[in-house]
Order: sequence, then C-alpha cells, then structure tokens
Amino acid sequence: MGFAAFFSEMGWGNLVMILIAFFLLYLAIKKEYEPMLMMTIAFGMLLTNLPGAGLFHEELFAGGQVHWDLFGAHDPNLPHPGLLDYLYLGVKLGIYPCLIFVGVGAMTDFGPLIANPKSFLLGAAAQIGIFATFLAAFAMGFTPEQAGSIGIIGGADGPTAIFLTSKLAPELLGPIAVAAYSYMALVPVIQPPIMRALTTKKERMIKMSTLRQVSKKERIIFPIVIASIISLLLPDAAPLIGCLMLGNLMKECGVVDRLSKTVQNELMNIVVIFLGLTVGATATANTFLSPATLKIMIMGVVAFGVASACGVLFAKLMNCFLKEGNKINPLIGSAGVSAVPMAARVSQKVGQEENPSNFLLMHAMGPNVAGVVGSAVAAGLLLSFLG
Amino acid sequence: MMNFLAVTGWGWTEVLWCSLISVALVFTVLVLLVGVMKLFGVVFAEKPKRKMAAVETKPVSEGQLHEEEIAAITAALKLYKSALHDRESEVLTILNVKRAYSPWNSKIHGLTQLPDRK
Repeated sequence: MGFAAFFSEMGWGNLVMILIAFFLLYLAIKKEYEPMLMMTIAFGMLLTNLPGAGLFHEELFAGGQVHWDLFGAHDPNLPHPGLLDYLYLGVKLGIYPCLIFVGVGAMTDFGPLIANPKSFLLGAAAQIGIFATFLAAFAMGFTPEQAGSIGIIGGADGPTAIFLTSKLAPELLGPIAVAAYSYMALVPVIQPPIMRALTTKKERMIKMSTLRQVSKKERIIFPIVIASIISLLLPDAAPLIGCLMLGNLMKECGVVDRLSKTVQNELMNIVVIFLGLTVGATATANTFLSPATLKIMIMGVVAFGVASACGVLFAKLMNCFLKEGNKINPLIGSAGVSAVPMAARVSQKVGQEENPSNFLLMHAMGPNVAGVVGSAVAAGLLLSFLG
Repeated sequence: MMNFLAVTGWGWTEVLWCSLISVALVFTVLVLLVGVMKLFGVVFAEKPKRKMAAVETKPVSEGQLHEEEIAAITAALKLYKSALHDRESEVLTILNVKRAYSPWNSKIHGLTQLPDRK
C-alpha cells in the first residue's frame, strides 16, 4: 500500500517532496508565478513522489542513458514503465524543448532586433552571466557538466535550460527547471534594484530614437539567414535555433497561417503539459532533497543577477562609443537575459519611473529576443565543450 | 565539427579557457550577425530613401508648384473646410405630429381589453 511506504526508510523524503509540490502549486495558482509550467511541474512532482503509483522510474534513465532494454522487458522483477516514463522520453531525446522553441519563434517579433542590430551585442553581453555562474558552480564542487547546466539558468530561457541539462546533467533536471522558472517569474523583483544601482538618473532618462520600419522581405529572410549561419558555425545549437527560426518563418511568411496558429496555441500547450509533468517527475526525493538543490537555487539568483548586470554595463560601455543622439538607454541592457517579454517590460517600467514620456518597450524587445538567440548559442557551445 | 573543443581532464585551467573561449565565440557569432543585419538594412531599407531622394531632385519649372507645396495647401484647405459649419436657422423644429384616427391601433377594438374596474 502507498501509505505504508511513507513510514519506510526514505518515506519522509516523499512526504517532504509532496509538501514542496503543494507549495509550488500554491505559487503557481495563487501567486501566478509562471503558472503554465510551474503548475504542471508541481503536479508532476506530486505524482512521482506518491509511493506505489509507479508513474516514473529513475532506473530507466540511470547514468544519463535511456535503458531501452528495460522498456520492453517482461521480467516481473524489473520496473514496469509508467506513463511519465514514456512521456519523459520527449525530454530525454530533446524533443519537447525544440517543439516549444517552434512555438516561441512563431510568437516572437524579431522586428526590433532587425531594426536595431546593435541589440545583438546586448544579448551577447548578458550571456556572460552564464559563464560566470559556470565558474562559480565549478568552484562550489559541481562537475563541469553540472556547472554548465547550472550556468545556463542565467540565460533565463526555460526550454534552453531543460535542453542542455537533459543532455549534460539529467540528475539535476528537476532543481534546475524549478530554479529557472521560479527566477523567471521573479524577474520584476530581481532586476530593478540591479538596474538602478548600476545607472545614473540621467542615464535612465535617455530617450531613444524611433526604430525604422522593417520590410516584409527582411522579416522573411531573417530566420532563414540566422538559422543557416548559426547552424553552420555551431551545429550543437542547430536544433534550438533551427526550431526557433522555423516558427518565426511560419509567422512571417504569411502563407501558412494555420500552421503558425497551431504551433502558437495547440502544439505549444500540449508540449507544455508534457514538458512540465515530466520535468516535475524527475524531482524525486533522492535527487531533490540534497544540498546541491540549495546551491543550485543560490547559483540561479547569481546567474540572473550577473547576466542582468552585464547587460546594463555593456550598454553603458557602448554609449562611450556612440554619438550624442544615438545613445542607448542602459536599462534596455538588462533585457538581454531572455525571459521574453518580462525583462523588456521591466526595462519599460523602470524607465518610465524616471521619465513617464519615455517608451523603452520596443527598444528593449531587441536585446530581449537577441538574448534568446544568445542563450541558444551559449548552450550550443557548452554542449560542444562538455557533451 | 567542434570535436576539437572536447577536453578529457577538467581542471581550473580547462574550465577558465572554456569560459573565455565561449564568451569570445558568443560575441563573435553575434557580432557577425550584427554585420549581416546591417547589410540587410543597406539592401532592403535604403531603397525607399533613394527613391525619395530621386523625387526630391526632380526639377520644378518657374511658376509651377512643388508636390510638397501642393500637399501642404491641400491639407490646409481640407482643415479649413472641415472647421466650417453649415449656418442653421436656430429655430426649434419639434412639431407635434397628429395622426388621423385608425381602428387598426384602437384600444377599444383590441382583443385584450383591460378589465373594467369601477
């Protein structure tokens, strides 16, 4: 019986995990912290920690490998695969994050980035946070693979973090996914103090010139060119960038509206359910209740903070080389961490606190979407080095 | 392709190099994309400007108005005309309309007569 298992050796662990799942459900439903994923992750966490339910078996994926032989085994002594084991194959094989990127691409407007290509540099600067956290995590005793997976939290991009972690350190998938999505929800709390501390009032009041109109031709050619260039330079980033740009091309070409709407809505929603449930299912008592989880939570904040700070500081550095009238408001630098569109909204909000007539949203969307490309490139590099 | 990046033993030296090279590569790739996008701008966005410049240099003969002047005058006339109102008589025209009797709307001949309360 399931209840008796709570009183076994590791039964208390399951109980604690169920309480954590309740807390995350509370955050998702009551506080609306990234509810789409947080709710499903928390429910997956609840299901996997119910003793005897047999929905998820870690041993089928032990050592970072899929043990296909166990999936078809009829031996009663071996674990019988549960529903979440089958669904988890989509994470393990890197299918769900890529499908989500198709939807993200179809929902993203790259116009501000095309109109102001300098934004790519801010997107690149924010990725320094990933590598700074990689070094810090290594110093804290994590293996290079685990450190790379923890560092990618600084990319503030859930699917990228899940994609990389499932390849490099699947044992940390649960804590890393929870940390990434928790901190993404807390972007409006984490970023503003950093932005204010690193900028002067005068800098925060800088008004930026209106962005130029972007032609339809540019919008159509952009995803094709970006996917080709990045995939040729960094083959490991090809699945993420390729899917992102495929979704964007569907949206911009205007001839496959049905496909575009499907990937933005139905496909995205279905994959979010599978991804959330299965990522939550990996958060078993054995893997989650360890000092490593606490360290990951701390490193996650560091990653977000450093990434935001690097974006702001790099924007200030760029202003040293730009003519008067062409200067950029450093507040848009923090949007270089992905977290689309939350980070851009934070730039707009902090900017309007100083100057209510200043509209930074569209300017911040440039670095924001550049951050998505940048974090996918960074993930590809980490995979090349550590995979 | 990138197998040359694979490292076997990981110490601080390797981790530091990995981080530095990665940051440099992220910047290189994205700077390359900045260049590509700037080129995009030149190829696709500059064309309308050139066309406009060509229009501006079109010679205007003496006594002939420039297109922009014509547009400005037309806009001013439009604004002037839309600001004008029709002159009205300022006499109220609410008339008491009297309809001729018709049995079709007569209450007396209605099917649902109200009860006669006395």
